[in-house]
Amino acid sequence: MPWDQEKIKSVLPHREPFLFLDEVIMIEGSQKIVAVKRIAKEEEYFRGHFPGNPIVPGVLMIEAMAQASVILFSLDRPHIAETEPDYYLGKVKADFLAPAYPGDQLIVEANKVKFLDNAAITDTLIKVNDRIAAKANLVFSIQQK
Amino acid sequence: MSNNIEEEIRNMVSEILEVPVDKLTPEVDFFQDLEVDSLKAIEIVAAFEKKYRIIVPEEDIPKIRNLGQLIEYTENITG
Repeated sequence: MPWDQEKIKSVLPHREPFLFLDEVIMIEGSQKIVAVKRIAKEEEYFRGHFPGNPIVPGVLMIEAMAQASVILFSLDRPHIAETEPDYYLGKVKADFLAPAYPGDQLIVEANKVKFLDNAAITDTLIKVNDRIAAKANLVFSIQQK
Repeated sequence: MSNNIEEEIRNMVSEILEVPVDKLTPEVDFFQDLEVDSLKAIEIVAAFEKKYRIIVPEEDIPKIRNLGQLIEYTENITG
């Protein structure tokens, strides 16, 4: 069952302008999810990244992959997610393979590597037009309040 | 347990923790002496699982506090 952005907001603490997922289009248990982020042509950050040559910043791709990872974690550990913990990205090993531009649609995939109650590892990637634009191994901590 | 596997585990932990191999004695405590946090701990577990193609039950993780215990754990599960 796909998730709309309201459902995403029920799990992620992020809000505009720092919410980088529009919908979740596929869920495979707690092993994998696929989400979508549509890049608007008028995103504010394109004014500076870069003037006359707008490209989606790689750090924002990582953020989208991290947010997809948090959703995947919430499916694996709903009892932890329900406590609305803080999620801290601790380590990123990323490759950027192709640029994304205004108007592109990012297909954001997160795969479970290892989840514990207080830490998680995912393998993630972003595709643009069926081409891998970025991939990253993410390690993050989960701190219950 | 062969010295080879012992060396493999020591090298793997050394690389993840960024601690020289010669400082990783069997008794040095991961958490108190090397300040291993939850992120480093899960990295060690994931690397260990990948290398030996096993799943470490979550309840076993807090019991493994040093290299000696990790080697002993490996002995038990790999026979």
